[in-house]
Amino acid sequence: MRAAQFSGNFLIGTGVCSVKRLGRILVWVSVALLGAGALGKIALDRGESLNAIWFVIAAVCCYLVAYRLYSAFLAARLLALDDTRATPSERHDDGRDFVPTNKWVLFGHHFAAIAGPGPLVGPTLAAQFGYLPGTLWLIAGAAFAGCVQDFIILFCSIRRDGKSIGQMAREEVSKRGGFIAQLAVLAIMVILLGVVALVVVNALKSSPWATFTLAMTIPIALLVGVYLRFVRPGRVLEGSLMGVGLILFVVFAGQWVADSPSWARVFTLGGVPLAFAIMVYAFAASALPVWLLLAPRDYLSAFIKAGAIFALAAGILFVHPHVLMPPLTRFIDGSGPVFAGKIFPFCFITIACGAISGFHSLISSGTTPKMILRESHARFIGYGAMLLESFVGVMAMVAACAMTPGVYFAINSPPSIVGATPDAAAATISGWGFPLTAQTMAGLAHAVGEQTLWNRAGGAPSLAVGMAQIFSNTIGGERLLSIWYHFAIMFEALFILTVLDAGTRVGRFMVQELGGRVWKPFGRTGRMPSILVSSAIIVGMWGYFLYQGVVDPLGGINSLWPLFGISNQLLAAVALVVATTILLKMGRTRWIWVTLLPMTWLVIITMTASYQKIFDANPRIGFLAYANALAAQITAGKIPAAKLVETQRLIFNQRLDAAVTAVLALMVIVLIVEALVQWYAILGSRRAQVLHESPYVPTQWAEGYSGVAHGDD
Amino acid sequence: MQKAARNIRRLARRFWRGLREWCGDAAYERYLRSSAGQSEGYPRLSAQEFYVEQLNQRYSRPNRCC
Repeated sequence: MRAAQFSGNFLIGTGVCSVKRLGRILVWVSVALLGAGALGKIALDRGESLNAIWFVIAAVCCYLVAYRLYSAFLAARLLALDDTRATPSERHDDGRDFVPTNKWVLFGHHFAAIAGPGPLVGPTLAAQFGYLPGTLWLIAGAAFAGCVQDFIILFCSIRRDGKSIGQMAREEVSKRGGFIAQLAVLAIMVILLGVVALVVVNALKSSPWATFTLAMTIPIALLVGVYLRFVRPGRVLEGSLMGVGLILFVVFAGQWVADSPSWARVFTLGGVPLAFAIMVYAFAASALPVWLLLAPRDYLSAFIKAGAIFALAAGILFVHPHVLMPPLTRFIDGSGPVFAGKIFPFCFITIACGAISGFHSLISSGTTPKMILRESHARFIGYGAMLLESFVGVMAMVAACAMTPGVYFAINSPPSIVGATPDAAAATISGWGFPLTAQTMAGLAHAVGEQTLWNRAGGAPSLAVGMAQIFSNTIGGERLLSIWYHFAIMFEALFILTVLDAGTRVGRFMVQELGGRVWKPFGRTGRMPSILVSSAIIVGMWGYFLYQGVVDPLGGINSLWPLFGISNQLLAAVALVVATTILLKMGRTRWIWVTLLPMTWLVIITMTASYQKIFDANPRIGFLAYANALAAQITAGKIPAAKLVETQRLIFNQRLDAAVTAVLALMVIVLIVEALVQWYAILGSRRAQVLHESPYVPTQWAEGYSGVAHGDD
Repeated sequence: MQKAARNIRRLARRFWRGLREWCGDAAYERYLRSSAGQSEGYPRLSAQEFYVEQLNQRYSRPNRCC
């Protein structure tokens, strides 16, 4: 209980009112006031333009206050973290899986695991509503939902020897609940992989420079892989630094490829060939030994990710650009060109990672609990790392809103909405009140070394333009704009590919596990035929979504990103259902709102969004309405014979998306009903509840032990 | 002044050690010191074997997120 008292004393108040204490309170009150002032400035400013520094101040102050007060309350009162209790890493210390790890190092691991392309892409897309709704949701969602989920699931998993969310659902909710959670994880993974792959395709489409750079990361990774396996086993740092150096060189060298007509032709690919290339790559990375391709790419991506995020933060602080996007745009009414749908619920669906991401519950109940040194570290790692991810989301929002709104809409709108020719599109966008000329776009595309920037939905190119403008204001000016742009594209694509190949491999194991129940040999993870078949199944599944997105005339992001958001938020609802059940069993009924409120909010937004995506009468929102509209066109004979097959496939895809959304929503409803029955029984029963926690073992470690003593001293 | 220099050196050393831990450079050394690396019963893994085994394990469960 020592930790509990330690972190709780700010709230409880012992009556001792020393000067030091008063000083501390004064500091925190001023942080809170500064944060409130900055938020007010962002929300109420209607001047010409707003300095981005206000976003940074508002976000950082809110995070500090949330961490100091709310996470302390969670740690002390709700969870009662106990540092006298030995963690799994102490009890099972085996040097491989269960490794006691220093708090800061583990924070780095955990953050590298949870932060992916999501917090960069989501806010960029949601910027079509204006900067305000997304920013507020990023900050409040993280403090009251996302961080809470990560923290509590991490705590639950620590108390259960690092069990996964599926296992916890099975043990604490019900057998069926566990099975549903497992299926939901697989389904969500498939959709997630399809959508992030689509972001890469849209970033590389007809861009020889970007395609060359990304293609070259594969031989570089192979080289690093061989080096780390045979030349200097396990010397990750030197191997990765070598690889990062080579990657920076190929980013630079990409311009020579783009400038040479014959080479440019080789690397200029359309959407469909790129989609297939990515599928082949992910299949290979999943089926080949990990050390050869997957792991070294992951190392490179981790280093570049850390570097790029620091660079973005430094760039925003140094340049403090002006935010040109208005706080709210006309598109809150649901007519947005980037994706259709009203601000409620679609703003909260589009920004999943950064505010709350169900996928994090897989990380919080995976490797991290097995490495944590003390229970009290869960606050810093679970709650703190998510705050940092939310900050990445706010920076992405700033980068997207710092460019001219007209340019933002030009990059992210499909031609079916704004018009097929540059002049028509520029006229449409100017008509919305965001002045733009076709020359501006042509000039910008030339400056960043691209053939075109029209219709590049997916968030990556617009974020890259935003980042490139910020970076080039720091170093290099106009001259280096194209290098910065391709650096940004490369790093986004690089860590999306990392999600893709790692996700495909994990998905492969899930498929093998499920298949192994039907036919034993299929489940053997080392068997070559099983590896090939299961890899093909998982790649085929997400590849289908990817292909469907690439050929979608409305721009696949419009239909697929909300599907991804819905599934991610549904997984978060699952995690919060599990957390609520465990808290009820622990007798924390009084504070059950901590998880119950975010859970209710998630259920409301996901169910509303699912309903609208399936049944809405607007064909841009409702899958079925779009299918029916297309079918009506066929019956009316408006579709030329050459496009008949294509249109029929489009109809099928829309119905498939509707069915997938419905199945996901139904699964979660079943799980919630299961849980409600459980909760009713728990609250009505006078008997002590059976928790499946590991038994209490007192720690043997000295009080100040931080894991560093294991190090080089 | 000397004290400040010492503090900076200590901080830099700590950062370096943390970086090696974070990226996996120090994993094998840690394994050798842990009970599994010390125990008589099991054959101790070589640096190469350990590296490959670690990777296989790490990439068999969700460890990269959106």
